[in-house]
Amino acid sequence: MRRLWKVFALLTLVSLLCGISVPVMAQTGESTDEPDLVLSTTYPSQVVALGESVTISLKISTEATPQVVWLDMKQIPEGWTATFRGAGKVIKAVYVEPDNSASVSLKLEPPANAASGSYEFVALARGENGEVELPLELVVEEKLPPKLAFDIDLPTLKGKPSSTFRYSATLKNEGDEEVTVNLLADAPAGFTVTFKSGGQEVSSLPMEANQSKSLSIEVRPYAELPAGDYPIVVRAQGDNAEAVLSLTATVTGEPDVSLTAPDGRLSGRAYAGEETPFKLIVRNTGSAPARAVEMSASEPTGWSVEFEPKEIDEIPAGQQVEVTAKIRPADKALAGDYMVTVYARPEDSSSESVDLRITVLTSTLWGVVGVALIAVAVGVVALAVLRFGRR
Amino acid sequence: MAPKLKDTGRQRAREGSPWTGLWVVVAKEMADHLTSVRMRILEVLIVLTAAGTVYAAIRNLQETVGQDPFLLMKLFTTAQEPLPAFVGFLGFLIPLIAIALAFDSVNGEFSRRTISRILAQPIYRDALLMGKFLAGLFTLALVLTAIWLLIIGAGIVGMGVPPSGEEVARSLWFLLASVFYGGIWLALAMVFSIVFRQPATAALASIAVWLFFIVFWEILVGMVAPILRPVQFNTAEEILAQAQLELALTRLSPNTLYSEVMLALLQPTVRSVGLVLPIQLHGAILGTPLPLHQSLLLIWPQFTGLIAATILLFALGYVLFQRREIRA
Repeated sequence: MRRLWKVFALLTLVSLLCGISVPVMAQTGESTDEPDLVLSTTYPSQVVALGESVTISLKISTEATPQVVWLDMKQIPEGWTATFRGAGKVIKAVYVEPDNSASVSLKLEPPANAASGSYEFVALARGENGEVELPLELVVEEKLPPKLAFDIDLPTLKGKPSSTFRYSATLKNEGDEEVTVNLLADAPAGFTVTFKSGGQEVSSLPMEANQSKSLSIEVRPYAELPAGDYPIVVRAQGDNAEAVLSLTATVTGEPDVSLTAPDGRLSGRAYAGEETPFKLIVRNTGSAPARAVEMSASEPTGWSVEFEPKEIDEIPAGQQVEVTAKIRPADKALAGDYMVTVYARPEDSSSESVDLRITVLTSTLWGVVGVALIAVAVGVVALAVLRFGRR
Repeated sequence: MAPKLKDTGRQRAREGSPWTGLWVVVAKEMADHLTSVRMRILEVLIVLTAAGTVYAAIRNLQETVGQDPFLLMKLFTTAQEPLPAFVGFLGFLIPLIAIALAFDSVNGEFSRRTISRILAQPIYRDALLMGKFLAGLFTLALVLTAIWLLIIGAGIVGMGVPPSGEEVARSLWFLLASVFYGGIWLALAMVFSIVFRQPATAALASIAVWLFFIVFWEILVGMVAPILRPVQFNTAEEILAQAQLELALTRLSPNTLYSEVMLALLQPTVRSVGLVLPIQLHGAILGTPLPLHQSLLLIWPQFTGLIAATILLFALGYVLFQRREIRA
C-alpha cells in the first residue's frame, strides 16, 4: 500500500511538471516562426554626397515580450564603418518594451577612397526569439568640386596718380557647396587695394552654391607714384578653390606744382616804393615733369612784381626750383598789410597759387623831417635866448 | 645852449647861464599851481569825467567785446550814450586846464607888483619865463599822468586783463601827445598874459582862440576851400584838390592835429588820417593793426607839429617878454 502511494505521488509530480513545461515550449515554438520584433526606418534609401557620412535613425519595437535586442550589421560594403548610437553613446544592444519603441541612430561612414555608386547595407536586430533584418541603400553621388571664377570686363584701367582705379568684377561660385571666400590682393608697393560689395568694404564674404556677386575693386595709388603699368593680382580663396584675377593699372604722369617759401613763411615786409626780394619755392610733387612753369602775380594797383626767372623750363618730378619775386609796393602805398597772390602755371597742368601777406612800411624819412622841424623850433628859442638874453 | 660871452657891438651880450634859478622858479610855480583852488576844481572835474567815461566804457566793453588785442585802447575810445568817449572830453578839457594854468602867469606878477621883486633876485628873465612855462607843462603832465594811471588801473580791475606792452607804449605816446597839445594852449595863454596887462583880457583872448579853432575853424575852412579851389567841371582832380586843400587848412588847427594823433595811436587799425583813394586800398587786408612804429610814422608830422608849435609859441612869448619894459 505504501509503495503504491509513492508511485502515485511520483506520477502526479511528473504530470504536474509536464503540465507546466508544455505551454512554455509551445510559446517558443510559435515565436521562432514569427519574431516578435520590428526594425524600421523612415527613409531606407538615401542619396548622399561623396565623402559624406550619413546617420540613419532606426526604430525598434516589440509587441509582446520586453526583451534585450542585440544590434549588428549583416551586410556592409568594404571599408565602410557602421556604429549604432543611442543617447550619444555607441551601443551594442537596446532594451525594448511592448509599448515603448526604442530609437537608435546608425552612423555610416564611407572610406576615404569611396567611389560614387550604390551601396547596400543590411542591419540586423537579434532578439530573444529570433532576428529581423532591415535592408538599407545609400546612393553616393559625386558632387561638383568647389570652384570660384572671376569675371571682369575691363581689366586694364588708366588714370592719374591722384585718381582711384575702380574695377568692376563678378565673383562666381561654380561649385555646389557654400564657400567662404577670402579676398586678397597682391599689388606693388604704393598701392592700396580695397574690395567693396554692395557699398561695404569687405575682406571675406560667404558665397552660396552657384551664386555670383559683383565686387568693386578699388585701387588707390600714392600721389608720388611714377608713371607706368602696374600689375595687380587679386585672389579669391575659398576652402578648396581659388580664383585669380590679373588687373593692370596704367598710371599716367601728372605734374603737381606747389608754391611755398623756403622757411614756410608767406609773409614779409616791404617799404613803400622800394623793391624787396622774396624767395619762393616752386615744387613739383607730381609724377611727371612740369614744363614751362610760368610765374605771375596779381598785385594791388600801382605795385610791381617781377620774377627771377620769369619762366621755369622744366621741374623734374619731385624737384624744386627757387624763384625770387621782386615786390615793389606803390610809392603812395599806405602802411599796413596787403595781399599779393602769386601763381605758378605749368604748361599742361592746373595752376597753383599762394597768397603772400606783405606788410608795407612807410619810410622813416618823414620822421627825420619832423625831428628837424622840432630842431628848428628849438634853434629859434636858442637864437632868441642869445639875441634877447639879459636885456 | 651854453651861452657864449660875446660882444655883438650893438648890444651887450648876456652874462651867466640862463638856467640859473630855473628850477627854483619851477618848484615854486608848481607848488603854487598844485595848491591853488583853480587847479583843485579842474582836477576834480577831469577826474570825475575820467571816472564816468571809463566806467561807462568798461560796462560797454564787458557786454560787447569778446576778445580784442587792444582792449586798453578801447577804454579810451569807447563811448556809451549819453556820455562821449574819454578822449572826446580830453579834446576840450586839456586846453581848459592849460589856459587856466597860464593866462595870468606874467601879467599877474605885474598886477601884484611882484615882478620887480623876483627879478631883483639872482634870476634871469629867461629863467623866470622858462620856469613858469615848464612848471605849467609839468603840472599838466602830472595831472594827465595821474589820470592815465587811474584809467589803466580801472581797466585792469574792471576787465581783469593786464595791458600788453604795445598797449602801454601806445597809451604812453598818447599821453605825450596830450601833454604837448596842452603845451600849445599853455604857450598861447602865456603869450597873451605877456601881451595883455589884464589877466581877464588874456583869459578871454585865449578862450576866444580856443573857441575859434574848436567851433569856427571848420566852418570857415568849409567856406574858404570851395572859393580857392572851385569845382567847375566836376572832375575827379578838382574834387580831390578841393578836399586836399580843405584837409590842409583843417590841420592848421591844433585840435585837428590832436584828434588825428589820437585816432592813429588809439586805433591801431587806422591806416591813414588823410585822404585815401580807393586805388590805394586795392589788395589791402583791412582791419589788421599796424605796428606801433608805423602808427607813429603815420602821425609823426602831426606829432612833431604839436611839439614844434609849442616851442615856437614859447619862443614868441620869450621874445615879447624879453623886449618888455619892466619898471620897479
